[in-house]
Amino acid sequence: MSETVAAPITARPAGARKTLLLKTIGALALGVVVFLLPLYLSSQYLLVLMWVFTGAVGAMGLTMLIGQAGQLSLAHSFFVLVGGVSYAVYASPGDKDTIGFGLPTLLALVLAVVTTGLVGALFAPISGRLRGIYLGVASLSLVFLGFWLANQLPSIAGSASSGRYAPSLKLPGFDFGEQNPSLYVLNVEIGSAERSFWLFAALTALAYVAGRGALSGRVGRGWRAVRDNEAMATVMGVSVVRQKATAFAVSSAYAGLAGVMVVWWYSGLMKPDEAVDFGTYGTTVAISYLAMCVIGGLGSLGGSILGAAIVFGLPQLLPLLNGSTSAGSLSGTAFTPVVITNLIFGALIVLIIMFEPRGFAGLGQRIVRLVRR
Amino acid sequence: MTATPAAASPPAATRNVKPLQIEDISVRFGGILALDSVSFTVAPGTIHALIGPNGAGKSTCFNAITRIYPLASGRILLGDNDLASVPGHRIASLGVGRAFQNLALVDSATVIDNVMLGRYSLTKGGFLSYAVRAPWTMKSERRHADRAAEICDFLGVGQHLHRPAGMLSYGDQKRVDIARALAVEPTILLLDEPAAGMNASETAEMSELIRDIRDELGISILLVEHDMGLVMGIADRVTVLDFGRRLADDVPAAVQKDPEVIRAYLGSDDDERQETP
Repeated sequence: MSETVAAPITARPAGARKTLLLKTIGALALGVVVFLLPLYLSSQYLLVLMWVFTGAVGAMGLTMLIGQAGQLSLAHSFFVLVGGVSYAVYASPGDKDTIGFGLPTLLALVLAVVTTGLVGALFAPISGRLRGIYLGVASLSLVFLGFWLANQLPSIAGSASSGRYAPSLKLPGFDFGEQNPSLYVLNVEIGSAERSFWLFAALTALAYVAGRGALSGRVGRGWRAVRDNEAMATVMGVSVVRQKATAFAVSSAYAGLAGVMVVWWYSGLMKPDEAVDFGTYGTTVAISYLAMCVIGGLGSLGGSILGAAIVFGLPQLLPLLNGSTSAGSLSGTAFTPVVITNLIFGALIVLIIMFEPRGFAGLGQRIVRLVRR
Repeated sequence: MTATPAAASPPAATRNVKPLQIEDISVRFGGILALDSVSFTVAPGTIHALIGPNGAGKSTCFNAITRIYPLASGRILLGDNDLASVPGHRIASLGVGRAFQNLALVDSATVIDNVMLGRYSLTKGGFLSYAVRAPWTMKSERRHADRAAEICDFLGVGQHLHRPAGMLSYGDQKRVDIARALAVEPTILLLDEPAAGMNASETAEMSELIRDIRDELGISILLVEHDMGLVMGIADRVTVLDFGRRLADDVPAAVQKDPEVIRAYLGSDDDERQETP
């Protein structure tokens, strides 16, 4: 009970250095693998992985909001839409039909993320007052609002029939959309698909690292305190209202980045949905994001990547494995890839809630513990 | 903003411990007056116990001081600062630390993470500075984590730093809760039933710990407790509440003899046999 320790007391665990070394080696190895993947995979598989990365970035935002800050949101696809539209408006030059500023694409990307974050913060007066399923349902209304607005304002969001185009990312001296400058790695030409794959992987890594840093620090502690006990959080000096707003803003900013990635994934096409329940930004997608978070384990950033691999990856991957590239060839059967995926992740959600409510993240922790033992 | 001791480990002696003056506070829930013009003063560096039968208003009083419940009237002065006039989340930075009755820990988070929450108002940095791991943010994070570890060690939970708080024994969780309250670097520590649910030997350890906190940190402690042995053993002064009103406010020996307290609170002769040190 008293201070009897001679050595200076530190908060670092005993094997911290070794763990850090292992983690660094692991991250480097993963980096090399991801870097080399485009050399071995054809572009259709790269597209699947890019779609997974897009989902992962969005799901990371949502899992932080739900799992760490304790706020349910069903509006994630709305914020994805806001991100995509903002990027299109900032980055494309605009013409007689559409408004556009033609800003440098990197700046447009940052601005789109910030804008979406701010739109999320605007929802704070509502998100701060509602809890649980009430907040979920209230936020769902944003998806409908977004659908309606996007269809009302074709000069901003693009028309629902033909959409609008936004440029791909161009860094000074490197263009992610075209072969400029042309680049060869191990005699494989790095075309636009390969470049975009690297870009998507890098953005996902960035989103993960950023989220990880924030969650393990002061911000994450504040969120978890608000999630578990608001009175306690207040007594410890956390402004509950402010942290709830911050969490919503950060979550939305992640969705905004995912929105920009969606536009890039469609080769720059920003097209609003023609129906609210089905499409790229509709209610189904909002639920899909929630499913990713639950499957991955609420609050786990790594888990949301796995969740995205299942929810976003499978419907894209199954037709490829089936040996056909067009969805049409499967139209004769009731078991389309989408249906199969829905069955898989529906079953997964039931199993996870029954046996491991912490999702894949919880399973991972169990495995780590078994290995260490 | 008041200047808070941002240095990693301010020596106890330099902590400017001020009296906590509760002046005529009332708390109202609808038509019920839960606290009726209660006044008392916690003198610097003393252990002050708040006792009373169930429903007397002890916890309400705590919740009023920490601004969880709004005051109907009255003032709460810590030195010159009126706690009632600042938002609830600013209380911690004014030097008020509170441990909770029903363990309000984040179970899934590690012990050190829980205790670091106490450093919240002593540290800065939002999402971005932690996201990019700004060197100055990380440096202060490490400094504060070391201080938090030191506090855990003082509380006797130093060996559990990296275990999830929810996996600790009840007694250890209580200690983590107190460690978190101390991580605020408070000048007054509010303890809500620290010995609740503990057996005799654990209670004895707890009372020793509370005395250690006062002696080594030199801070004031305001304590709500049902265990009369503990209260009479360590309290420098006792305030008795009953039905939201103050019944007595004196040294333990005098309170024990107060006929009104005996009638309202201790009730039978049985309870009078409390040993004093």
